[in-house]
Amino acid sequence: MMNFSYKEKTLIASLIVTLLIFGWYFVGVFSNMTANPGEEPRLSNLIGIVILAAILEGITASFFGKRNEAGLVDERDRLIERVSYRNSYWALCIGVWFILIQLFFESSGIPAISDRFSLQHLIFSSPVYIAHLLLLFFVLSEVIHFSTQLFYYRKGI
Amino acid sequence: MSQQTLATKVGVTRQTIIAIEKAKYSPSLEVAFKISNVFEVPLEEVFSYN
Repeated sequence: MMNFSYKEKTLIASLIVTLLIFGWYFVGVFSNMTANPGEEPRLSNLIGIVILAAILEGITASFFGKRNEAGLVDERDRLIERVSYRNSYWALCIGVWFILIQLFFESSGIPAISDRFSLQHLIFSSPVYIAHLLLLFFVLSEVIHFSTQLFYYRKGI
Repeated sequence: MSQQTLATKVGVTRQTIIAIEKAKYSPSLEVAFKISNVFEVPLEEVFSYN
């Protein structure tokens, strides 16, 4: 039987909330995008889902936080936080560079390059899709942030 | 002395004391000195480098 500290339980809850809420949302958006290419997802849905996830994460954090040794954060917590933020930073950078390079190829005007590397018909048909793709990479970096924290709490640092 | 008592005296969480005991975390010099001060023994009696 594995024993989890309250900090680990909070991380697991945040990870599950993030994966469920955004996983459900992105599967819906991107599957609809391929099924109905002309139909754009509404930006209000995107804002709504971010607010919903923030509320649910806030509720889970306060639920477990009350039991977390009066909210004490020590040097080990800060070290794990720093290392996991560094890992998630790299994931976010890769995502942003991926979008920037795609946009560069889109605007290059060279048919051989833009035909080969373009995702225009899939993603870049509108700024709404770019916003969704940016949020997808942001969520992925958050998932890496939670996962690596959990890893270092379990395995040591 | 319980882990919680030691953690309170040193100013860290009980989880950090557990991690130090299991060699899953190397504390800072400040925390290492605080732990040895709590036990009133030299640092090298509490910690060793493997």
